[in-house]
Amino acid sequence: MVELAARLAGIVGERRVMLRAGELRTYESDGLPGYRSTPSLAVFPGTRDETIAVVKALAASHTSFVARGAGTGLSGGALADNVVLLGLHRLKRIVAIDGDNARAVVEPGVVNALLTAAASAYGLHYAPDPSSQSACTIGGNVAENAGGPHCLKYGVTLNHVIALTVLLPDGEVVTLGNPDGESEGYDLLGAFVGSEGCFGVVLDATIRLERNPQAVRTLLADFASVDGAAHAVSDIIAAGIVAAAMEMMDNAAIQVVEASIYAAGYPVDAAAILLIELDGAAAGLDDDVARVAQFCKAAGARAVRVAADPADRARLWQGRKKAFGAMGRVSPHLVVQDAVVPRTRLPQVLADIHHIGVRHGVNVCNVFHAGDGNLHPNIGYDANDADEAARVHAAMGEIMQVCIDAGGTITGEHGVGLDKLPYMDSLFTPDTLGAMCALRSVFDPERRANPGKVVPVHRCREWLAAPAARAGHPR
Amino acid sequence: MSRGAGVTTPCAIPGTPLADARAGLDACVHCGSCLQACPTYLVLEDENDSPRGRLDLMRALVDGILPTSDPDVRSHIDRCLGCRACEPACPSGVPYGHLLEATRATLTAERPNPFIVRLILFAFARPALLHAAMFGGRVTRALRLSRLLARLPGRIGFAMAMLESTRSPLPHRTYQPRSDGSRGAVAVLQGCVMEGLFAETNRATSRTLAANDFSIVEAPGQRCCGALHAHAGDIDTARTLARANIIAFERSGAEVIAVNAAGCGAIMKEYGVLLADDAAWRDRATVFAARVRDITELLASAGPRLGAPVPVTVTYDAPCHLLHAQHIASPPLRVLAAVPGLVLMPLAESEHCCGSAGIYNPVEPETSERVLEPKLRHIAATGAALVATGNPGCLMQIGAGLHQARMSARAIHPVDLLDASYAAERS
Amino acid sequence: MTPGVSADVAALADRVRSAHANGAPLRVTGAGTWLDGGQPCVAADHLELAALTGIVAYEPGDLTLTVLAATPLSAIQALTASEGQWLTMDPHGSPDGTIGATVSTASSGPLASAYGTPRDHVLGCEFVTGTGDVVRGGGRVVKNVAGFDLVRLVTGAWGTLGAITEITVRLRAKPEQDVSLAVATLSGAVADVTNGVREWSHRSAFRPLAMELLSPSLARRLTGHSEELLLVRIGGNSTHARAAVDAVSSLGTARDIGHGVWSQLAQAEPKGALVFRVSALPSRIGSLFSTASALAEELGGYAHATVTRGIVRCVVPPPSEPQAVDYLCGQLSALSRDVTVAGERMSAPLWAAVRRMRSTDALSLRVRSTFDPGRILNPGILGDA
Ligand SMILES: Cc1cc2nc3c(=O)[nH]c(=O)nc-3n(C[C@H](O)[C@H](O)[C@H](O)COP(=O)(O)OP(=O)(O)OC[C@H]3O[C@@H](n4cnc5c(N)ncnc54)[C@H](O)[C@@H]3O)c2cc1C
Ligand code: SF4
Ligand code: SF4
Repeated sequence: MVELAARLAGIVGERRVMLRAGELRTYESDGLPGYRSTPSLAVFPGTRDETIAVVKALAASHTSFVARGAGTGLSGGALADNVVLLGLHRLKRIVAIDGDNARAVVEPGVVNALLTAAASAYGLHYAPDPSSQSACTIGGNVAENAGGPHCLKYGVTLNHVIALTVLLPDGEVVTLGNPDGESEGYDLLGAFVGSEGCFGVVLDATIRLERNPQAVRTLLADFASVDGAAHAVSDIIAAGIVAAAMEMMDNAAIQVVEASIYAAGYPVDAAAILLIELDGAAAGLDDDVARVAQFCKAAGARAVRVAADPADRARLWQGRKKAFGAMGRVSPHLVVQDAVVPRTRLPQVLADIHHIGVRHGVNVCNVFHAGDGNLHPNIGYDANDADEAARVHAAMGEIMQVCIDAGGTITGEHGVGLDKLPYMDSLFTPDTLGAMCALRSVFDPERRANPGKVVPVHRCREWLAAPAARAGHPR
Repeated sequence: MSRGAGVTTPCAIPGTPLADARAGLDACVHCGSCLQACPTYLVLEDENDSPRGRLDLMRALVDGILPTSDPDVRSHIDRCLGCRACEPACPSGVPYGHLLEATRATLTAERPNPFIVRLILFAFARPALLHAAMFGGRVTRALRLSRLLARLPGRIGFAMAMLESTRSPLPHRTYQPRSDGSRGAVAVLQGCVMEGLFAETNRATSRTLAANDFSIVEAPGQRCCGALHAHAGDIDTARTLARANIIAFERSGAEVIAVNAAGCGAIMKEYGVLLADDAAWRDRATVFAARVRDITELLASAGPRLGAPVPVTVTYDAPCHLLHAQHIASPPLRVLAAVPGLVLMPLAESEHCCGSAGIYNPVEPETSERVLEPKLRHIAATGAALVATGNPGCLMQIGAGLHQARMSARAIHPVDLLDASYAAERS
Repeated sequence: MTPGVSADVAALADRVRSAHANGAPLRVTGAGTWLDGGQPCVAADHLELAALTGIVAYEPGDLTLTVLAATPLSAIQALTASEGQWLTMDPHGSPDGTIGATVSTASSGPLASAYGTPRDHVLGCEFVTGTGDVVRGGGRVVKNVAGFDLVRLVTGAWGTLGAITEITVRLRAKPEQDVSLAVATLSGAVADVTNGVREWSHRSAFRPLAMELLSPSLARRLTGHSEELLLVRIGGNSTHARAAVDAVSSLGTARDIGHGVWSQLAQAEPKGALVFRVSALPSRIGSLFSTASALAEELGGYAHATVTRGIVRCVVPPPSEPQAVDYLCGQLSALSRDVTVAGERMSAPLWAAVRRMRSTDALSLRVRSTFDPGRILNPGILGDA
């Protein structure tokens, strides 16, 4: 390791290779609470060429590595357990913004919100807006296929990536997608987005920007029951109104936010609120606002109000976006979940989650992308209390099972990483998991990039030891 | 990989200030929201030099993962500007400023501060020495030696440029405002550097208060506020100074205490916390702290009254200890708005630290200058002739940067501009 | 039998397994309406999927639909229309084409300007790999990042990585108002007209569901109008639609033309016509459309541009004279040096003239040999024979 460190220091400079415990500490964890892994060393290239040279050096010594952006991931994707951590946050150049074609070329370390800030000069923005947008990087977004409230109307990261320059784990640089026209052949770009750092390293991304809408309306609807809020969501979608965002927070989440510095003026006695945004051409927008308000009222909303001005709107959104962080204030430890269920099943699933919480005596907060059926049940607790910790984990297991049984999935935007590995077997057949391993081997035959993540290792072993039928694979 | 690493292990450093502040560490959920707010992270590009990284190091000390003697811990904690820009960015409400002070106090007990830090703190705690040093500074400035020496490279050159920049860009003013005293009695903190090098601003502070119908009372016996000591971990000296100030200002009979140095105001508003463990002083300190106001807060509460036109373009840079520590954003702008003819240009990233951060500049000159770089760039982009900012450290840091970069803009306290506007009424 | 796999699919998997064992290539077929698409495919046997029709699950409130792969698009549209919903995939060709073929070839039509291509619609699918494994990627929910994305991989792979047997797609509620306009008298040079449309779409607050610019002979065929003609489709509530119609009218004389025009456009091409698409950075659409439509018209064909996507689709009758073939080859190869040329249906010499469909790079070859090591599925269709 010391020898490798010296070789890497020759590429990136002494200061950018870290080996000592005191330097590695903060790189031992990402946004997923409660996990820590110590990298064998950490290396931080400052340019594209340095990155290529580093990965080639790692390839030459068959060393495994984990790419890391801002370390805000919530599934443990950027944890490096005794392998090399390759930090990319220093590659933070916005290479170009092409206002005419509404696109940008960015390095992987560019922070999501800074891209939107830069694009605003052209009347454009980057639509996928994870709540972590002030910190997370485009590289991390691409790797996780990140979503956000406004992905309901505008689509997730995948729908905004036109092309990628990717550094394969063996050091080869390839372009995926076609920046200058239609893409042909296999959709390797589509396969790469969401590959959680297991297929290679993003060196740059050609990103589709969205034109700023002419008008925006943000509604806050106050419900006396969670069920009513869930029904309002279904009704609005079924009516063909395409909201830009539809977010729900239950009472527990509202309480937490209102106690934080991001207090947004949510009604603290509401069982649930919906934050609904409509945007687009000004003409007819208020008709849609009126219809949405009607649907909410019909589903039992006590009050519906429209944000008065941009400052009010920003405040309503801040409360939602900072909700997860605000939970840190009320309890020392936190589990953040991410699951998706069909939208019609929301009322039932939310009721089930509530009962599971009650049965295990844990306090579940729900703050989530209701329009997509993308749930985030969070539980704050004290890990020092062994009994409480056990109850929290039991409750989470049951919640995930409820979501799977409802025809849903185990992650809508945070990725599998390490955290969700145990659920993969109940969601996919062995053949499907095998096919995933096989796809990964196409990009990374030695399986050195982010080892041990996404697909359970035993499934890969089985696949590799598969019937003679597949013996002809080049490996 | 370890799971459940969040579980609190027995404290490895019981009885230290950091151990006492430990609950604040638990609030951090490692979400990273603070990263982009942190000036040292942005220029040094190492998460160890970010709030999240530093909190991780603090926790490692508490958990006994790293010893207090660890050189990496030391250098990353040292490099923190203490600007507290991370606090408003943190949804979890991590009390970063307190944790930093507690950590520095814990580390100082283990191994003393570097010589230069001790020298500065020593001088600031001793009025005679301090006066001598400030006198020396004024003589150097008056003889224009500072202008000459500012051409030197490195630390000395920058220090001389700082001194040179304290020369007021506005003409000397001597009007006598009339006050009906209806807004109550105010005592003004003289401040070590303010009285030493920005005496004109202190006079302007009293005059503008009077012009807005406050009555000024003297508070003899007041001392250094202790902020530098607290930030560097010398909590005991900070407490001694705090007690002396509480006595002096109580005796003055003032209803409120006006402070024109954001760094001083920030600590004085926290005297209650500083002396929380001292049963005899806790309540007195809390009452005192509640009476401390930044000068712009007071003036804004009075309007302030409009003066005569001063045609000049100005941009405003928010001192960290005003914006992040005291949460004062608009009062300085209201003070500037009371000057007719003054054109205010918005400054990009005005909420970012300039790199001054108390005695940070002489201690971490390299980082300090790298933090200053973008600030100067943004100032240049405004085209303003003056940069208004209400803290002596920032005035000198920005002033010196402008001087060394041979930019024509000068740094100035907002109160001086209002004062000039009132002075112009009489000419 | 693998749990969760139907008897039909299990039987298909058996066939593929034995074909793989015998090294016998298979031509995967759906309804068989477009077997001449793609490059020449050499396979004696067909892997018929036509029996795989039917709805597996339709929950209107979820706006998702799961169907067997050979279900015709027309059947899907009929079903969803009864709930006020639609599948916003409108590939060119017969409405009896299957959803499996549409997804396999990633074929899209005018609605892609607003709703994207099949890649943006498919939420999950089941497919049989070239070794007879039955794989189920994705799921039935609208957001899903569990595991690596096998769905995107088979979408647009022209059957070469697996025969798709079941598909879950995202549906949309039909807009309250849905207006189709023809905008005439777009006077000026073709490139200027095209750029004008593009600039309008940038400036405008409205986002039409489709905007397709037709070359003169296509316009004549569909509407009798014999200059460039712009088709625009607008959706939204009535206030919105009214205002959008007004806004579109600034481009020329707009008249309501009815939705029939879109299916006419989809089925305009004569049997056996050569079809290819040229595309470039959207800002180049002006010169691209003027060059490509001039070429197509000169050869007795037509062209239409999806302006906001920077794509021009050309349809020309197959040249019979050898010189005409040479001429077209020369033109295409010149074009393909500068812009992206993608063939839909072409003859062998033309395929040779354009840059081959991208499937011959090292990664693509590795994908192919991983999922179909015997190269038995649609061999040659991606230029890989
Ligand atoms: C408060 C909070 C709110 C959040 N809200 C949302 C939300 O609303 N929606 C959402 O989708 N997510 C959310 N997340 C999760 C997280 O922010 C996203 O997953 C984000 O995309 C991670 O970006 P990052 O730069 O921090 O990546 P990291 O955490 O550093 O890495 C994540 C994964 O990406 C890989 N990776 C990073 N950079 C590269 C690269 N250049 N090339 C290849 N692989 C790379 C890593 O190996 C790892 O597997 C939230 C997180 C937090 C803490
Ligand atoms: S106080 Fe300033 S320099 Fe220190 S961690 Fe916070 S933001 Fe960074
Ligand atoms: S923002 Fe607060 S909770 Fe989040 S990492 Fe920073 S200090 Fe910790």
